[in-house]
Amino acid sequence: MLVKFVQEVQIPILAAMLLGACSAKLLRTVRARSLEAGLGPTALFPVRTRKPLALFICAIEFGLGIGLIVTAGERLYSPAAISVRLGTCLLFLVATSALVELRTTRPDIGCGCFGDFSTAPVSARTLARSALLAGAALATVHVGRIDPPRTAAQSIQVLAILAAELIVIGALSPELGEGLIRLGYSEPCELRNVPVDRTIAALRRSKQWRKLSGMISDDVPADIWRELCWRYVVYPSSHKDREAQLVFAVFLQQRRPTVHSALVDAVTGEPVPFPVNASAERLRPPLTRRILRPLSGKVAAREMAQAAEYPQPDLPLSSDLYLESNTAQDFEIVPLAIMQAEPAGTGRNAEP
Amino acid sequence: MPSAPTGNACCDRCADLGGADAGKSDAGKIARRRLLKAAIFRPLEADAPTDPKPDDFDQDDPADLAPTTGFADVAELPRAVSGTILDISPHVLIIGQIGTEQRYTLTPDAIGWRGAPCEPAALRQGDRVVFRLHPSRRNVADRIWANMGRVTGVIIDRSGDSVLVDEGATRKPQVINILPRHMGRIQVRFPNLEPGFLVDIIGVRRGEDLDGVIPATSQPGYPAHALPPPAMVSGHVPDSISGSAVWHEPRDEPPGVLGVAYPALDPDARCAEDAASRRGHGYARMPYLAVGSVLRIRNDCSGKDCLVPVTGCAAIARLFNDRCVNCGTSPRGRIADLTMASFIALGGELERGCFNATMTIGE
Repeated sequence: MLVKFVQEVQIPILAAMLLGACSAKLLRTVRARSLEAGLGPTALFPVRTRKPLALFICAIEFGLGIGLIVTAGERLYSPAAISVRLGTCLLFLVATSALVELRTTRPDIGCGCFGDFSTAPVSARTLARSALLAGAALATVHVGRIDPPRTAAQSIQVLAILAAELIVIGALSPELGEGLIRLGYSEPCELRNVPVDRTIAALRRSKQWRKLSGMISDDVPADIWRELCWRYVVYPSSHKDREAQLVFAVFLQQRRPTVHSALVDAVTGEPVPFPVNASAERLRPPLTRRILRPLSGKVAAREMAQAAEYPQPDLPLSSDLYLESNTAQDFEIVPLAIMQAEPAGTGRNAEP
Repeated sequence: MPSAPTGNACCDRCADLGGADAGKSDAGKIARRRLLKAAIFRPLEADAPTDPKPDDFDQDDPADLAPTTGFADVAELPRAVSGTILDISPHVLIIGQIGTEQRYTLTPDAIGWRGAPCEPAALRQGDRVVFRLHPSRRNVADRIWANMGRVTGVIIDRSGDSVLVDEGATRKPQVINILPRHMGRIQVRFPNLEPGFLVDIIGVRRGEDLDGVIPATSQPGYPAHALPPPAMVSGHVPDSISGSAVWHEPRDEPPGVLGVAYPALDPDARCAEDAASRRGHGYARMPYLAVGSVLRIRNDCSGKDCLVPVTGCAAIARLFNDRCVNCGTSPRGRIADLTMASFIALGGELERGCFNATMTIGE
């Protein structure tokens, strides 16, 4: 009975492997917009034959996977079931041979068995898995109709066999580690594609914007550029009847981005202090001296720490705790060309 | 052939498209970005003039445009000069530059290149040359490259020994003619001279075409549209990135510019060159930067390093996952596409095509 269960378990496992492999390849194809992309053994063939070969492999995997499921209820030695199961065995035997050849001639490329997940070079584990699946397919040839377990003990036996085999296959699959890494992967902010619109929207929600937007003479930015985790937005402004520019640096994160700002002379690019009188009217400084409270919550703390972790080469200042003042005298003392970093919308988080 | 979407900019490399003033304004913008960034993150110094006089600043003066941290120091790094040979002898090279003649002394061990290493006297009048000046002696040249060209891109078509190559959305397709005597050498490194595959060949310019002579690298095994997925970067991007640094011809740049085309410009910069690859990122995962960002690039083979500004996007370079093997084996991926002048200043030999480089961002 145990042998029969072992044989029966192979059919759903093989079907899942074949359909999973086919799906992963299709997913890769959709992403890369190329049918032959990422299919390792096709690299052994001339360029012109790779595309039809990749299509053929995908179709075979799909056909056999579906065939194994459909013929699972067939009687013993049914021609359809025998054909599908022997075909599966043959596929894995050919795959094993192709992987041996691939490992010899192109040791730098992956097997492509599961699309993007199979980028690691072909190893002994990959070969062993393919051979194991060939053996498993051969073991199903003598399996008749698959019936569900009748007792609880039988169910436990089947589940135990299934779990054991999945563990073995997992141990032989380099793709498993890759998949687990991807599950927990978060792209560093330097590599994240953040649209300009999102940055502008975050800037306009910030307290810096509410303070300084009155100084902007044109809503259209004069220049926008990005470096690492920061995007810089420059608006035309004026200072003492001379042209000036208001520069914002926005940290590229989803929520509550850190924002820095500076006022510079439009001709020289040198920082100039924010106008004292104008700031009282335009910048609407808060009426009381206060310290911004650090953002609450683990996420905010992590994001703020991340922002502080990215000091730019010319940036000795990158603290998120700042003093603000309401007196003109203090405005003259505090170098306002370096406006304080603050999370967007910190009005709610500030305390007197 | 890929085409550029309407409205894309040229990453400040199409100075001639925007008229004579375009280049100047772009150079000003590049320098200005550094000033603005410094203004954001550097506090006002107490003794700094808080009210600078506009008259003190001349936008056309490179000294005023130069940022406070220095770029390549011409006194320490070799300089590259380009021009057309008016006369050459074993000891003296005379070139014409914009209506003037300039005379350079050749060192006794000076070497020329014109498809192959040669004596300087073997170069001809009318050859377009790039030569390297001795770092400590002005007007003394020790390496001369004549009519050197390079085509890097995606093969569009092949007819016999001629290959048509797409070099990106902002450049005209290039024709490489491969003479039978060079075909064997090139095909060892580039076995697939078929449409869709990448090619990178150094040769001798003959009019608009290039006579291919040297394979600049080994051909990636994949077609350009099937770039393998890059390795995932977890945590933070390292401060220094190693890989291969290559050079490109100054097609739409003034010769002698010290700059680098960077493979990962911000996609929202809307570079027309991006259309060439039609991919969000290349093989080497690199942080997004902008034109005007400054990189420190070190030639791991010569030990020389200098700061160079990003002057354009290297959409084709990012399709390559090759290695440079000039001194050891570099990690895969091209991290910098230098101008000829930068490449020479960092001690690179043009005919080798690349050097192992380490790049530090944000100095």
